Amino acid sequence: MELLSNLALGFSTAGSLENLFFCLIGVILGTLIGVLPGIGATATIAMLLPITFQLEPVSSLIMLAGIYYGAQYGGSTTAILINLPGESSSAVTAIDGYQMARKGKAGTALAIAALGSFFAGSVSTLLVAIFAIPLTVVALKFGAAEYFSLMVLGLVSSIALAHGSILKALAMVVTGLLLGLVGTDIYTGAPRFNLGIREYADGLNFVALAVGVFGIAEILRNLEGEVQREVIKTKVSSLLPSKEDFRAMIAPVLRGTAIGSALGILPGGGAILASFASYTVEKKMSKHPEEFGHGAIAGVAGPESANNAGAQTSFIPLLTLGIPANPVMALMVGAMIIQGIVPGPNVAAEQPALFWGIIASMWIGNLMLVILNLPLIGLWVKLLTVPYYVLFPIIMAMCSIGVYSVNSNVYDLYAVAFFGLLGYVLLKLRCEPAPLLLGFVLGPMLEENLRRAMILGRGDPTTFLTRPISLTLLILSLAVLVVVFLPQVRKKRDEVFTESD
Amino acid sequence: MAVSVKVGGFTVAAILAASGAFAQAYPERSITMVVPFAAGGPTDTVARLVAEKMSADLGQQIIVENVGGAGGTLGAGRVASAEADGYTVLLHHIGMATSATLYRSLAYDTLNAFEYVGLVTSVPMTIVARADFEPADFPAFIDYVKANADTVTMANAGIGAASHLCGMMFMSALDVPLVTVPYKGTGPAMTDLLGGQVDIMCDQTTNTTKQIQGGTIKGYAVTSPARLDIFPDMPTAIEGGLDGFEVSIWHGIYSPKGTPAEVNDRLSAALQKALADADIAARFAELGTAPSTAEEATPAALKATLETEIGRWKPVIEAAGVYAD
Amino acid sequence: MTSQSYDKADAAAGVLFILIGLGFGVQSWWLDIGTALRMGPGYFPLVLSVILVLLGAAVVVNATKQPGEPIGSLAARGMIYILPAPIFFGLTVRGLGFVPSIFLTTFIACFASLKMKPLPALLLSVVVAVFSTLVFSYALGLPFRRFGPWLSF
Repeated sequence: MELLSNLALGFSTAGSLENLFFCLIGVILGTLIGVLPGIGATATIAMLLPITFQLEPVSSLIMLAGIYYGAQYGGSTTAILINLPGESSSAVTAIDGYQMARKGKAGTALAIAALGSFFAGSVSTLLVAIFAIPLTVVALKFGAAEYFSLMVLGLVSSIALAHGSILKALAMVVTGLLLGLVGTDIYTGAPRFNLGIREYADGLNFVALAVGVFGIAEILRNLEGEVQREVIKTKVSSLLPSKEDFRAMIAPVLRGTAIGSALGILPGGGAILASFASYTVEKKMSKHPEEFGHGAIAGVAGPESANNAGAQTSFIPLLTLGIPANPVMALMVGAMIIQGIVPGPNVAAEQPALFWGIIASMWIGNLMLVILNLPLIGLWVKLLTVPYYVLFPIIMAMCSIGVYSVNSNVYDLYAVAFFGLLGYVLLKLRCEPAPLLLGFVLGPMLEENLRRAMILGRGDPTTFLTRPISLTLLILSLAVLVVVFLPQVRKKRDEVFTESD
Repeated sequence: MAVSVKVGGFTVAAILAASGAFAQAYPERSITMVVPFAAGGPTDTVARLVAEKMSADLGQQIIVENVGGAGGTLGAGRVASAEADGYTVLLHHIGMATSATLYRSLAYDTLNAFEYVGLVTSVPMTIVARADFEPADFPAFIDYVKANADTVTMANAGIGAASHLCGMMFMSALDVPLVTVPYKGTGPAMTDLLGGQVDIMCDQTTNTTKQIQGGTIKGYAVTSPARLDIFPDMPTAIEGGLDGFEVSIWHGIYSPKGTPAEVNDRLSAALQKALADADIAARFAELGTAPSTAEEATPAALKATLETEIGRWKPVIEAAGVYAD
Repeated sequence: MTSQSYDKADAAAGVLFILIGLGFGVQSWWLDIGTALRMGPGYFPLVLSVILVLLGAAVVVNATKQPGEPIGSLAARGMIYILPAPIFFGLTVRGLGFVPSIFLTTFIACFASLKMKPLPALLLSVVVAVFSTLVFSYALGLPFRRFGPWLSF
């Protein structure tokens, strides 16, 4: 049993008093900074990177990994409490989590998120341990054509995020795609849509966009009718989910874990899709799809599990190939290099204690998080009893700092104001921001892979159909479209009939 | 705010007037080292390693600030317009020279906006290919690429990236245009090379060493003037018959124009001391590079390098006809 | 409130999408479009812009077919004080320095609510400024200048 001996090595490394301590520090820091609105895992790790240079390589990576999934937890907390996702993945949690909070079920939503994440984290850590090495082979099979088809599947699925008009949701996705293209064309270096402002040459900042369209738009909405503000009720009867809630979350958590684990392995973009994909699946599987967008438990449990599972399995390409799956991983690569470890295919063989130690620490870190977070839920919920007019100036201050800290770019702050206005206008026009955000994240990748696939395929568009993985993904997209539109069409017909009655 | 601005103008004047006396106490507070790329990248790594050692000698903390964007020109622009008091410096790589041509409208004048501290390191590059690429050695590689110019695909990490520069140099040396496939950064480019989606790439040893040693990609040649200790069997591109084919990613430290010479010399001395440190040499060796010598870590050497490199890359970039703005 | 003969919100949304599509489309048109093998920087955005304009038109058409709910009141005061807050922070963080800048940013944002009186607003801004200076500048060591050049006497 090589796996057992490897895991034993990992646990003995991660279980040393020193490493447990740094793991704890990491998850606490991650959680704390994650709950500060507007500051996500990327900014957090970038800020804290220098602190880790003094530590042993294993300890520093364990701490950074702790910050990473700690911040994911924390980010979900702000998404649920004040509708402010710090990362693209928690944008989905905000949809139903925030609605639950508005109904006085903030504690339940937070508990579901924590428990779902813990379960997903545990399972996917085991998957990482078992499959890390063989799975990388699969990930490498993904070329430009496959990625393009995967993105198409993701976008098609995203229209299920909408609980209003599908047309408007599609338009929001396309708007997001276009906004994502702002910056510099990587193929020719030509600047695009940046209005001549060099500070936007690398594109609009995700955090600025998210803070604007979600956070600020929401603050403005709350300021509308200050007098009859109903938002969070102080009477929060129970913090923990009821038996019923538990039953409702089991299946979504299992499915979310599976989806997240699978997508997380793909370097570049896979993990981003996980929570969106899970939401779509849950909405489709649900007997009460109309609850989605109004505080459905499955809408929190599924995406949160998927998000956390994806966060864990995205360590696979990092640890086995040295390929960062997302910006946070890129920072981890930097940390490894500074520590004198060049990540690559040899790390597992040359540094088994480090490799397995990190894997074991993931599980330990997840355990710490759930222990840490369940009692904290009471505290977070109390935070909501703070009058809103006190809360929102604080949110504005934290968002400003958070956005600025990412790149020290003041134009990102101007973008916050612009997207706050745009987000508010769109909100008033009853357009939902989540599809826009997904489009924004996927836009550049979609174009990049489309063009790359065309170059590599010598301009032959059938390249998407002749490659089996790509073809499978496209067929799946088609299937999703049919599933989404058929009921819509049928419903329309029903409506027509009722009207003519 | 008008009052404040006036106060600001006064401060600058005061600092300039007092700079002679001021330099003796230098540094009396922490120094900001701007790295014009994201935290965690190879340039950031170099900066943080050097900053830590320089801090020890200067007796003041050097804080690394990442001001990424637009191929490093935003961070360079920030330093160019910073106060010339020695408390803001820039660590930039070869991009300082190439952006002078790649960007037709820079916010600063590359040769006249900075003072020089010294060279830090020069990272050699390697010409690599996917693991199952047919040619057995570098001469065969050149023949193969020339013969199959219309099907061989060459990856790079984006406009102005080291791999892009080296790729342009490679194509101009062979005098064949190849199908180039740009990526957003080295990570995804390497993924596709590992997966065999693209054929060849030229990239820094920092990124390729472990993969070559692990056998997951094939190394054909190095772009340094002499063979590298880590790859004694790999020929240099010049040995392979590509005359003058020498590309390295050199890094230098700059300060804003008008920074007193004493300050630059003080920084330069700290840099030389840092580079002589055995720990730095060991860390750099892991990255496949070596610290610059004491002669190179001087203002004069950096100035000369920048001027030569601007002149060397100008025709290559203009011939390729690529611009980043 | 009474419902209207057509959905004004949807109609406005459709028009907004058309405008965004046109905005991007025109700019794409000026860029190199390229061919399918070697797509230029304008190819993909142009295709998207056309799709967006079509979608916007469809939304408008749909809006005229069904009654809708009114848009409701606007948070005018909120917009006047909330939106400039991050802009103000951006304009002053380097000149004034982190501490005074974040203090004033918070103070400005406070006025968005009618319930916030000047004295509590001042108090809250001080607390936020102290807290964020301790956390971000001291504990996390972010490279912010606490007091900027505009204030150095």
